[in-house]
Amino acid sequence: MDTLVGHMAGVSCLAWTPDSNTIASGSDDKAIRLWDRVTGRPRTTARKSLAGQEMAPLKGHHSYIHCLAFSPKGNILASGSYDEAVFLWDVRAGRLMRSLPAHSDPVSGIDFSRDGTLVVSCSTDGLIRVWDTSTGQCLRTLVHEDNPAVTNVCFSPNGRFVLAFNLDNCIRLWDYVAGSVKKTYQGHLNEKFAVGGCFGVLDGEPFVASASEDGSIVLWDVKSKALLQRIEGHKGVCFWVDVHGETMASAGQDHTVRVYRNIRDSGVTNGPIGEASQELRTELPIRVEDVKMEDA
Amino acid sequence: MNLLLSDDYLLQDYPENITNTIRSGHATMLRFNRKGDYLASGRVDGTVVVWDLETMGVARKLRGHNKSITFLSWSRCGRYLLSTCQGWKAILWDLQDGKRLREVRFRAPVYMAELHPWNHLELVAALFEEQPVVVDMTEPVDVKHILPSAPKRLNTDGDAALKEKHAKEDAKQMTTSIIWSVTGDHVLAGTNKGRLNIIDAKSYEIIYSDKICSGAITTMRTTGSGRELLVNSQDRIIRTFRIPNLSTEDLDLDTLQLPLEHKFQDVVNKLSWNHVTFSATGEYVAASTYNNHELYVWERNHGSLVCMLKDPKEEQGVIEWHPARALLAACGLETGRIYIWSVISPQKWSALAPDFAEVEENVEYIEQEDEFDIYAQEEIHRRRLDAEDEDVDVLTLDPSKALDEGDGFRMPILFNLGESDSEDEFIAVSTGTMRRRSPGEGQGDLDGGVEKVAVKKASGKGARSRKR
Repeated sequence: MDTLVGHMAGVSCLAWTPDSNTIASGSDDKAIRLWDRVTGRPRTTARKSLAGQEMAPLKGHHSYIHCLAFSPKGNILASGSYDEAVFLWDVRAGRLMRSLPAHSDPVSGIDFSRDGTLVVSCSTDGLIRVWDTSTGQCLRTLVHEDNPAVTNVCFSPNGRFVLAFNLDNCIRLWDYVAGSVKKTYQGHLNEKFAVGGCFGVLDGEPFVASASEDGSIVLWDVKSKALLQRIEGHKGVCFWVDVHGETMASAGQDHTVRVYRNIRDSGVTNGPIGEASQELRTELPIRVEDVKMEDA
Repeated sequence: MNLLLSDDYLLQDYPENITNTIRSGHATMLRFNRKGDYLASGRVDGTVVVWDLETMGVARKLRGHNKSITFLSWSRCGRYLLSTCQGWKAILWDLQDGKRLREVRFRAPVYMAELHPWNHLELVAALFEEQPVVVDMTEPVDVKHILPSAPKRLNTDGDAALKEKHAKEDAKQMTTSIIWSVTGDHVLAGTNKGRLNIIDAKSYEIIYSDKICSGAITTMRTTGSGRELLVNSQDRIIRTFRIPNLSTEDLDLDTLQLPLEHKFQDVVNKLSWNHVTFSATGEYVAASTYNNHELYVWERNHGSLVCMLKDPKEEQGVIEWHPARALLAACGLETGRIYIWSVISPQKWSALAPDFAEVEENVEYIEQEDEFDIYAQEEIHRRRLDAEDEDVDVLTLDPSKALDEGDGFRMPILFNLGESDSEDEFIAVSTGTMRRRSPGEGQGDLDGGVEKVAVKKASGKGARSRKR
């Protein structure tokens, strides 16, 4: 285990490059730093600082960095900040490519579509904006009638929908082309914190996973909006959950990171096929496999 | 995916303005990869620079040639890049690690060499004052097959004088431009006497030959479908031809014809053309002019001139049309800058404010019956949730997209490239003294290149201040 030292203030977000060799970290010191996964050293970019340091962090934001995302090719890094702007960085040169005057409140979430042509950003002003990566133009703004603050946003695996986490205990699935809410997922608690979640796929069926402020992780079926499973995990708030294949990880206020793994049932219950598969997923067998304590 | 949201298809489909100017050394040759996300440029000093069009920054620099680059050709998958230089050799680069996969030496300077459309280990090359060759690089030692430039004479029983005359004529026929047909079964070759030869890529024999213009053929290009051929020749006329399907079973060589479709020329000024290109769909033809600053764009349906692009104060050489978008790259002959011409799409203000819509003219608003009815908050919420009965599919890809993403080569992201502009042209000789680096210096060998690059880069800062 390694500690990456360099930021002058709290680190609020991380992003992996698609090739998993580099980590970007965004901090309250208004800088973004890139780290080599293997050596744990800062990445050397082309633009060396004058002091001859290993690397100059990406500087340009006027306030705290709040969210980061890499493009699918790894050549562009998008960052959202408390200065209400979205910046697109050329990762190779360490150069600011484009700054988008995005919102009227801190930018709380950002994501790239799978082909890298679109960026979605959201803010506590209640707006979700879809941007064209190449021109930097806003292509669509999504806003709900009640105007609840949006704290996190991500594209669906095929890039056709946008999942938005609202501070009114709802997660909404937007069709950004039609500009309408297609599904609303409820059952978790989210009123204060910018909790995170994501899409996951098990046996070819998509589900939505989200952290909840009561310390649990909640899984929903995408199509039926049915609550598949509620996993009690953390004491205090559960902040973030991420799914990769059959593995899921969560982080909480109790200073733990928990890792879960899907356990397959080989026996199939009797009854009609459609119902049986439904059965299997409602009791989605995920258990706490490994709990690792870490310092705060 | 941005196409779902944009009205850009309503915009014109040929470029109009310079949107970017990029420069790394003196570029002489340009080529887009098949997907259109990378642009390779060849420099006078022999360096090949691969540009990322999304960031307009350098993605890779390939050093191995020490003479001016004459031609570039991408493999279908976008992983391999073939470059030829005036120094009698061609290098096949593997962009995964930036190393040379193969190096082919010729007996003469290379006009151009193109990779087989489906097999990156086969190429066809046109040589200066030599007959063209097909090079098969499958084996560790490459096999060269010499192609003819003149067709075989049929009347072998003629008198000796006539034979001799023919032989002399044939010996003067040199292939100046050579490309693969779309399937890779045939090679299309243009000669210095204005002849077009179609050569069978299996038997290496000319199956069709015709004189199509009066000057030497300088450039030949086909559209993506391979059905149209664009020929630039020194007789100052650009011609387009229709290519019949050469890969059919019952190809009849006797009736084979390449009908001439259009002739593009400037009748008034009698301009000659540096370089020509088809647009993505073949709908337009663009050309850079000799001794002039303009780019000409013609429309192919009617054969009419659509626009002349003029902005940079220099003559432009090689031009390349993006394989999908209305984007044109041209390199300036004097400065070696690369000019990117494109269409600027206007910001739609309604996209920023979803409650508003852009209308062409005044519309009388008719209020709906229940528009201002007041319901309880819960009621509204319940209704909304009930309305969400649509089926959503968050996994299935757009089938046309899915095909595209199948070929999985992804260019690695490099962090140690040096400035994306031209600063590395200068090197430090000793403290405080700089000199312009002579082309290709110190780049002949394989392994030394990497370390030297670092030195040059370090000197970049000082060099810049000096230059200004």
